[in-house]
Amino acid sequence: MSGTRRKISVVPCSGIGKSLGAAAREAAFILDEDLRPDATKIVALSLLVMGDEQAKREVAGGEAVAIDGCKLECAAKGLACSGAGRVHKVAVFDVIRRHRGLKPEGVCDLNEDGLKLARATAGEAAKIVDDVNAEDGHA
Amino acid sequence: MPDLPRKKVGLISCSGEELPEGTVTRRAVRKVLETLRPDDTVTLCLPLFLAGGEGERSFARFYPTIAIDGCDKRCAARATEKYSARPAVSIVVSETAKAAECRDIGTARHLNEAGMRLADSVAGLIAEETDRLLKKAGRKTPVSSAAVVGCSCNSSLPSGTVRIHGRATRISGLPLIFAQHRDQGLGLDEKTGTVLLETVKIYNEVPDGQQQDWTEALVKEYAQFLKEKV
Repeated sequence: MSGTRRKISVVPCSGIGKSLGAAAREAAFILDEDLRPDATKIVALSLLVMGDEQAKREVAGGEAVAIDGCKLECAAKGLACSGAGRVHKVAVFDVIRRHRGLKPEGVCDLNEDGLKLARATAGEAAKIVDDVNAEDGHA
Repeated sequence: MPDLPRKKVGLISCSGEELPEGTVTRRAVRKVLETLRPDDTVTLCLPLFLAGGEGERSFARFYPTIAIDGCDKRCAARATEKYSARPAVSIVVSETAKAAECRDIGTARHLNEAGMRLADSVAGLIAEETDRLLKKAGRKTPVSSAAVVGCSCNSSLPSGTVRIHGRATRISGLPLIFAQHRDQGLGLDEKTGTVLLETVKIYNEVPDGQQQDWTEALVKEYAQFLKEKV
């Protein structure tokens, strides 16, 4: 594995009203801190939305993973508008369909089902990160 | 009778995912929404200003807003002003933390004890500003009748357009305001304009010096409304 590869930007939505947004945020932390710490970097969506130059430089032309909580897909749209080279979408509202029975609750503090959903979402995002790195010859 | 929304304060947090201060903004806002002032506050995800439609962008034109930012880049305050309207209050957590000599507050994922206390302190500040904006200063006890706290995604207030001084002017809530007053039996007399203007002012900013023009335009439009609904 090369030590000079560019990290993949991970941008979760900033959902504050619903548990699925909170799960998106938690999934990003799980991916970036626990699952693929050497391959990913979280970029704040609020900075991208406001056109922060440093944040835009971090995503410009590169691979990025958007983790969205709802169908408005703010994270994916924010990345697309900020010049990301390729945006890979992970949608919590799709992940939950594949994990029937989960009833996520809470926003600041997700319940156990919410955390399970976040872990499942992070797992799907990690697979994307691995696929991207494999394409680039970093697997 | 139509259910005309009460005036509330909109809370916009940056939720910055890179910094622990971003998590403080988020936790503080949720505390105000869930516990401290659930009946007086609503929220909207900041990126919805970009990704959403006119309903989301009219948010701050309808609600006076408090922007809560983690750092001095002030994304929430600037986004609110850029896409909707200038926030009534801007709180920057990094400045609040500095003033309180609060340095280590944990990580964006896990706030430590100091971070939790800082979030509580910011929540108290937001509640105070909410009371000030709604002219309810002096309240100490949290008031709640809400079982579930939601966000304002996809919610928008119906608006109407009235010609004032020859210019088409959009007025938030106008159809509901007219319908509510009609159902309450408001007819056309010398008090009609004053009554309508007072309600309209709750949801709209009437520029200084234009109250008379607005009153006359509202009465004319309301008369038409009554005629059409007979």
